[in-house]
Order: sequence, then C-alpha cells, then structure tokens
Amino acid sequence: MAWEFAIPNLLARDADRDASRAAVPPMDDEAFAGFYERSARSLWAYLARTSGDPALAEDLMQESYVRFLCATRREEGEVAARRYLFQIGTNLLRDHWRRPRPSSIEEIPENFFARNGDTAQAESQMMLGPAMAQMRPRDRQLLWLAHAEGYSHREIAEVTGLGSASVRLLLFRARRKIARLLSDQQCGRRS
Amino acid sequence: MMLRTCPREKDVKELVELGQWSVAAATAAELRAHVDGCRSCRELVLATTAFQKARAEATSAAKLGSPGVLWWRAQLRRRNAAVERISRPILGAQIFALAVYLVLAGGFLMWQARSGFGWLTRLEGIPQATAVQLGSLWTSTVSGSIWAPLVMISAVATLALLGGAVVYLSSEKQ
Repeated sequence: MAWEFAIPNLLARDADRDASRAAVPPMDDEAFAGFYERSARSLWAYLARTSGDPALAEDLMQESYVRFLCATRREEGEVAARRYLFQIGTNLLRDHWRRPRPSSIEEIPENFFARNGDTAQAESQMMLGPAMAQMRPRDRQLLWLAHAEGYSHREIAEVTGLGSASVRLLLFRARRKIARLLSDQQCGRRS
Repeated sequence: MMLRTCPREKDVKELVELGQWSVAAATAAELRAHVDGCRSCRELVLATTAFQKARAEATSAAKLGSPGVLWWRAQLRRRNAAVERISRPILGAQIFALAVYLVLAGGFLMWQARSGFGWLTRLEGIPQATAVQLGSLWTSTVSGSIWAPLVMISAVATLALLGGAVVYLSSEKQ
C-alpha cells in the first residue's frame, strides 16, 4: 500500500504504543533464538505425543511460536513464557481436534502413516503409545503436562483453561486409567 | 470415585522426576514397601516413569527448524495486523462516503421525479440540433431555466464520483 509510506512513522508509533501497553518488553531475535532452543523440543514432544502425529506437531509448534511472538504478554520470566507457549499449543491442538476430520483416505497426507510407523519404533512409544491412544485427548494433555513436564495442578489449570479442582479430579481419573492400561500391557508382555 | 492422595506422594514424585527412583527403590526398602502397598503411589510411579521416558525420547527425536524463520514470520504477521488495524477506519470512511453519495443520488432522483424530469424532454431535441444551434441551446436554457444545466452537471458529477468510488473500492479489495 502506497499510503503507509506517505506517513512513515505511523506504523512505528503504533508498535511503540503496543510495546508500552505490554508489561514485558518484546523479545529481540537473539533472546528468542535462545528461548526457542531451550523450549522447542519439549513443546514438540508434548504436541507430538498428545496428538500422535509428528507432522501436525511440527506445524502447531511453528504456529505456537509465531503467536507467542505476536502476543503482548504480561508474564515475566522464562518459566511463565514457557507456560504461555504451552497454553498456545494446547489451544491450537484443541482447535485442531474440533475441526472436522478428513472424510476420505485421499485427504490424509501421504507420509502420515509412514511417520507414525517410524515413531512406533521407539521403545517408550511402544509402551506408552497404545495406552495413550485409548485416552481422551484432554486426558492425554493433562497427563503429559503433569507427568512429563512436571507441572502443578495450578499450572495445568493455567495452561488448559480448566479449574484447579477440575484438573485434580480429571488427572486423578486419567492417571488411574493409564496406570491400569500400562499394567495390563506389562502383564500381557510377561505372559 | 474417591479422590484420595497419599501424604508421601510428593516425595515419590520428586524422586521419579529427578530420575532417582530406581536408586531410591533399591536402597530405601521402606519406601519401596510403601509404594508396593499404596495404590496411589504405585500408579504415580508407573505413569511418571513412562511419561518421563517418553519425554526424553521424544525431545531427542525432535527436529527443530530455524528460529529466524519463525521470527521473520511473526514480524510479518505483526506488520500485517498493524496495517489491517489502520486500514479499518479508512474502509469505514469509504463506506460512509459511498452511503452519502447514494443518499444524495437518491434525493436527486426523487426531486427530479417530482418535477417530472422536464429537462429530459429538452434533451430529446439535442440530436436534431446542429453545432451552430448549441449556442441557441445555451441561450434557451439560460432564458428558459437556469437550473437545467446545473442539474445536468451535478448529475454527471455524482455519477462520476460514484463510479470512482466503486472502482477504488473494488481495487482495494483486490
């Protein structure tokens, strides 16, 4: 658009106003690169294991970071930023599950099954994968956040948007269920 | 379902998360015995061990892209959002201008309909007139009605402005 160059400081002033409104100054590219290095692997693991689709996890991870950078946050510190990132990822995953699924086999990406086969080689995936597949999506998220990321009930409540009391109850049920599934698998393997 | 938690759950969880559970289980017989007998702690150990292992393997398997690309995409999106935010009032002004023109055009047509489009009958005579008679047309309009050319000019101007607004709006959409 030609008019925005006619008013050179308009966009800059707008950005300044946004920055002053936010409690935390936005990250510069170097700070972001460091934060990305420290947080991307755990976010990818969370998205990949709760969705069961590494390609989807890759897409959602990228979108999570872009939204994270675009957002004007009020939290301070890396722990809070990381939690906020997981919150974005959780919401994106929820939106994905709400969307209608592809109805025909042609609509599923070609490499979907191949990728699932690759990850199934991992030992932990062989153990946890079938049990996770039997859990509801929300329970998978709660279990991962609690037991893989080590978040407290309050932190999980912040990430998922649920109440702390609900998280406690849902997590208790989900843990009981997955423990039973894992025990059954172990018993089946021994026999 | 009874929601009962064990008071030792916190200690057990810490040990498992630190990766010290196997050591602790081997050395602390009392703790091992407690976990064997406590359903809540047993489930906690089973689930947390499995998830910690899965996390370790998944994080090592992750293939990370460049953070620079994400940074650039975010900058682009922020810029687009800012442009869109600024464009919104301009679009509103365009719609308002179009509405004003439409109201004026409607008012003009109603006014002309009331007066019976008298100037149209005079326009019918123009094709028969010669170039020399254009002067007489001017004098006749001046002597007949002072409003006729003004009305014609304003009608043409309105149409031209409306056309311009429509063209501008459609080009903005593209």
